[in-house]
Amino acid sequence: MSELAELLAQRHVLVCVGPGGVGKTTAAAALAVRAADEGRRVIVLTIDPARRLAQSLGLDTLDNTPRLIPAKAFPGRKPKGELWGMMLDMKRTFDEMILDMTSPERAQKIYANPFYQHISSTLAGTQEYMAMEKLWELHEEGRWELIVLDTPPTRSALDFLDAPKKVTDFLEGKFLRLLLWPYLQAGKTYLKAVSFGAKAFLRVATKITGSELLEDVANFFLAFEGMYDTFKERSKRVYELLAARRTSFIVVATPQEAALREARYFVQRLAAEKIALGGVVMNRTHDVPAVAGLEDPRSLADRARAAGDGALLAPALELYGSWREVSVREDAAIASSLGDLQTVPVWRVPDLAEDVHDVAALRRVGEALLGPLPGARSRTETA
Amino acid sequence: MPASLTDSRLAIVSGKGGVGKTTVAAALAVAAANVGKRVLLVEVEQREAIAPLFGERAIGYEERRLAPNITGLSVIPDDALVEYLYLFYGIRRVGKVLRGTKAIDFATNVAPGLRDILLIGKVKEAERRRQQGSYVYDLIVLDAPPTGRLPRFLDAPRAVVELVNSGPIRQQAQGVLDMVTDPKRCRVVLVTLPEDMPVRETVEAADALAKMNVNVGPIVVNAVLPQVFPASKLRTLAKDATGPLAADAEAASIRLPEEAMNGLARVTALHARKTLNQREATSELERETSIPSLHLPYVFSSRMGREELERLAAELAEQGAIT
Repeated sequence: MSELAELLAQRHVLVCVGPGGVGKTTAAAALAVRAADEGRRVIVLTIDPARRLAQSLGLDTLDNTPRLIPAKAFPGRKPKGELWGMMLDMKRTFDEMILDMTSPERAQKIYANPFYQHISSTLAGTQEYMAMEKLWELHEEGRWELIVLDTPPTRSALDFLDAPKKVTDFLEGKFLRLLLWPYLQAGKTYLKAVSFGAKAFLRVATKITGSELLEDVANFFLAFEGMYDTFKERSKRVYELLAARRTSFIVVATPQEAALREARYFVQRLAAEKIALGGVVMNRTHDVPAVAGLEDPRSLADRARAAGDGALLAPALELYGSWREVSVREDAAIASSLGDLQTVPVWRVPDLAEDVHDVAALRRVGEALLGPLPGARSRTETA
Repeated sequence: MPASLTDSRLAIVSGKGGVGKTTVAAALAVAAANVGKRVLLVEVEQREAIAPLFGERAIGYEERRLAPNITGLSVIPDDALVEYLYLFYGIRRVGKVLRGTKAIDFATNVAPGLRDILLIGKVKEAERRRQQGSYVYDLIVLDAPPTGRLPRFLDAPRAVVELVNSGPIRQQAQGVLDMVTDPKRCRVVLVTLPEDMPVRETVEAADALAKMNVNVGPIVVNAVLPQVFPASKLRTLAKDATGPLAADAEAASIRLPEEAMNGLARVTALHARKTLNQREATSELERETSIPSLHLPYVFSSRMGREELERLAAELAEQGAIT
């Protein structure tokens, strides 16, 4: 059994991470489809606002609730297991989490705060944090043997792992509470007690943003009173789940320099955090092997042209030459960015000519990664 | 009519992740620099992706020469805030005191839209900057956030105007809003691949931006495969290229091992299939939008550098995109 097949068969959580545009959503969906085909009860959680996975699975909407992907989305052979899908609604997840932590009245107060409305939809890291929160909820529900998490397209690899800390730090708001002391303690003599920095901050912040915003922020923190510990507790649990033995990360990349740099960085970062790396899915590779007789395709092309061939052979030879060079360079780039890191398995998905937006295509990606599905070879061919 | 990339002094380059928007932004800068324009090439997501294209070390928050006529700048929110405080309020000491504290962190990460305002605000400052009566930069190319985040990024000024009722930042926001909605000053160049999903996202983004009164165009279709086979043969080749290639080889009296012929057939069929899909996606783009487009060739390389940029820049110039 290949390493990836083992992960699919044994893990409880697979987290797909990587920079934007490398095919994370596709990789996550393809792995989930494959696991379902192999008989597991699996859910894929996607965050992507472009709703690409929804398209991939032939569904019009994936909302914040898990949905069973209907059998009719699977052409030919039906999955032995079950495939569920879910699209993260960041704001709703945040709202529900707050309701879960406090009384309905207080929750309403928080929802109504303009500042909350802002942070629940735009604060850097909120999306990542909510993805993890949802992951935890799905894990707690216990209905799925495998949860595949697609992650938001982060600016850099760093953003994903650091997000919960960023958000909880912010919500804990020690520093902000100090700064906003005057607003929290209206009417008392406080300014003497606060530092020069805080005073300066207030003066500047009021100047720039006006005082309404600061009041909103202060009210938000008042409403949040007593909830920080719960928040912290929750994010600690999520970290524990991410570091658990039955969780593996899968780094998704393409063989371009910039994406490989990110992948390398992520692999190192996971090792530093003692989080298990399953391996790297290398998407859109151009694997053109060396072939006897085609050592010098360009001279052959010249010969073909001179002989006046029918306009196909010469360009075919030149294309082979170009793609062969790309193939060699990609191999070198992959080796130089990941080769020195300890035993990182790399699974390739060759550049498929077609867009991947249905189960049949996802199955082909799965086959590229894992080989044909045992016992289903003949029927897959027709897909 | 050629689609000019340089009619307005600010070109905001965006696109779905992975379509090569940074490369296209850099190629545009090179093309304009080659005809003598003084270009500022800006990035705002601290990815430091521009400098390596020119074989240079990371840029940071300083305008630094990357190539003849090309200056690079990486706008960092914290630095932009400190500079902003100084420029608009004359507050220098506070800026210094606050730097590196969580107050700056708060202001740039938490205050609604402030971060984005600071980023575009800096771009606006460069766009307006004059020396001895003339603009310092003839063209500013912004390697912007991907299309998924772009509407929010450009809409930040409006959000600030709504949320912040008083204070001079409102004025600043209004100034930025004026710039991004003035077709003479600013345009958004959308980069796409000739593939189904990027094309769809591009069309959606173009619509969203048009609703915000932002001037969009041209669209740059990147990584277009060379048309090396006769169009009429593509379908046949896509199915199985073995027969046609063998016939050609025989006609040219070139004998290759079977393995070699199979290798050629695989590459040929894949290329034909991809070309067909690219053509389909390109016509979908043309059907769905009337925005003019430019086509850049696929670069057979896994790394982009000066040489590749020059090739792409020459292509842009040839298509009349630089005026």
